[in-house]
Amino acid sequence: MSKARIRLRRIFVVTQKEIVDFVRDWRTILAMVFVPILIFPVLFIALPLFLQGEAAEIQQMDLYVQLQTEDSENPPAELLTLINDANILWTESVLGEETELSIPGDDGAILTAGIENGTLHAILRMRSTESNASESWNYSVIYDSTHELSREAANRLFDSIISWENDVINATLAAHDLSRQEVFDPIHREGESSDSNIATEGELSAMTLAMFIPLVVALWTATAGIQPAIDLTAGERERGTMEALLSTPVARSDLLMGKWLAVATVACVSVIAQLGGLLFAISFLAAGAMAMPSITLVDGLLLLLSVLLFAIFTVAIEIAVAVRAHSVKEAGATLGPLILVFIGPTMFAQFVNLEGIENWWFAMPIFNVTLAMREALMGIHDPTHIVIWVVTCLSYAIGAVLWASRQFNREDLVESIS
Amino acid sequence: MLKQSLLAVTGVTKRFGDIIALDNIDVNFHAGEVVGLVGGNGAGKTTLLRLLCGLYRPTEGEVQGSIDGVNTSIHDMRGCVGVVPESTGLYSRLTAWENIRYHSRLIGLDDDRAWSRTHRFSTALDFTDSLHRPTRGFSKGMRQKTALLRALVHGPKILLLDEPTNGLDVTSARAVRKLVRQLGDEGGTVIYSTHNLAEAQQVCDRIVIIHNGTIRADGGPDELLQATDTSDLESAYVELTKDEARADLPESEGKVASFWRRLMTFRVKGGENNE
Repeated sequence: MSKARIRLRRIFVVTQKEIVDFVRDWRTILAMVFVPILIFPVLFIALPLFLQGEAAEIQQMDLYVQLQTEDSENPPAELLTLINDANILWTESVLGEETELSIPGDDGAILTAGIENGTLHAILRMRSTESNASESWNYSVIYDSTHELSREAANRLFDSIISWENDVINATLAAHDLSRQEVFDPIHREGESSDSNIATEGELSAMTLAMFIPLVVALWTATAGIQPAIDLTAGERERGTMEALLSTPVARSDLLMGKWLAVATVACVSVIAQLGGLLFAISFLAAGAMAMPSITLVDGLLLLLSVLLFAIFTVAIEIAVAVRAHSVKEAGATLGPLILVFIGPTMFAQFVNLEGIENWWFAMPIFNVTLAMREALMGIHDPTHIVIWVVTCLSYAIGAVLWASRQFNREDLVESIS
Repeated sequence: MLKQSLLAVTGVTKRFGDIIALDNIDVNFHAGEVVGLVGGNGAGKTTLLRLLCGLYRPTEGEVQGSIDGVNTSIHDMRGCVGVVPESTGLYSRLTAWENIRYHSRLIGLDDDRAWSRTHRFSTALDFTDSLHRPTRGFSKGMRQKTALLRALVHGPKILLLDEPTNGLDVTSARAVRKLVRQLGDEGGTVIYSTHNLAEAQQVCDRIVIIHNGTIRADGGPDELLQATDTSDLESAYVELTKDEARADLPESEGKVASFWRRLMTFRVKGGENNE
């Protein structure tokens, strides 16, 4: 068997063992496969559904409001109808001597007690004023913004008042022989704004995804590699398995390559699982809120390639850093802040204008991958950009692996704290 | 009969920063002998073993191997060496056999041969039933046996054991000693670090006493007793590892000088015997 084949075989043996080791740890499976698959469906589907459910639950509840007017006045009948429709049960009361409607007086304490025992959630104060409108009132809603039901009661009152106000405005305008459009919308755009946009809904979806996918993918790729990278380096040192492994006739660079491939595989599987979860969430949303993003096969492949290159680059850096640590704790303390090195440029690159972008952006580490992902999602195919980011990404990945390999040759690697 | 030198340590010094772990040591290891590296904690036994298997590089001097009479580097010798480190180094999510097989595959051995050898030695260690159990719950003795089987799986010419009976119960320690002796009797070379003198006397053909990074004595158990005029190895060890500061004391001057003279004579004699 040739030397190259022997080396390849050894690398494969190391990779295979490490993957088996990962797969047998349920925590790794949970963190690397299930969490990434579920994160987007939870974020895009389950969370909104849950929030909608919670909102609907509150909307079904009857709330109690006190309506305060001057002794000589009655609350407007139109408003009372709207309040009734909003599931608000109300009682009438006489407005106190307050100079300002919005400043709570003694009734502030009454409201606090009412909120606590569930008998009162807000107070609507109203005082009529003189004007040329068909009706004219000043009002204020006294409520507690830190209490959910009080806030809900205030919102329902505001909605009812706005609706009533619209009716009053319409009536006033009608009395003067004017329509609402004539007064408020004399310069009118015809048709729907979306009708005049030549971008398809799929393209709009892709643009929306381009706003956050690169950030999330970069963040997850960098995060996914940390735990395996630590486990296979500082973890082995701490458990004392490194000495036995390094005593075998396998070159350290081959051991490193095997471990690196294993971690890169796990990180890539994790990211692909996350993208799978994202596609599922989008296809679910496509039924209503969002269209399927129009991404061609080439765009998809470029997106995948950029993610994979980023994964092998970050994993090599993480392994090299973790190798230098004497313990899992030390490695974790070093690699945790390192994530910021990956996140910072990724966030920054989100705001770089792709129109007329200079080529050198695509040679900058980390920036290049983010920009490549954005271009792929936006359907931009600039051959110069693609060549630059592929070549530089590969170069950085190879450089990182060589650096990791150098760290793996350290003599103190055999020393264990266990 | 002349014994073939398998590993030669010549003028080796190993420093870790300001700490001198080994100081200009010379020692040869020959085919077919069981050698005990005896010394206290921090004497330099583990450092020497790590130099012998190429995990450390000497700061000064040279460690050279020999395969079939041809000098070779330690790196090239590694396929002929089996190592049991003090920590055993087992993967807890793998079974004992998977741990052994992992190393055998790295060395390039096919699984059938690896299994055949493992099965043979596991029988000697009464360990066959545990081969397919994950090592997570293994006792210290079971871990040590697994590490020993892993080191033996490729039929190494040299076996390096770092305190293999440390922390073992009587039965397990006895089984390990018996296997080591059996390997020696079958012509294998075993280099065995320990601080247990009785064990060294029982198992080893030759004892190398290391103290503060220097070799204080090198010879058979009887030769050590003879060289130090003592009746047991413990007394011989104490005599051989006495603090050199005593040389400054006038009343001990003659005794220390005599001791070093006898030791040097003994080492030359030992060298002649071995060569």
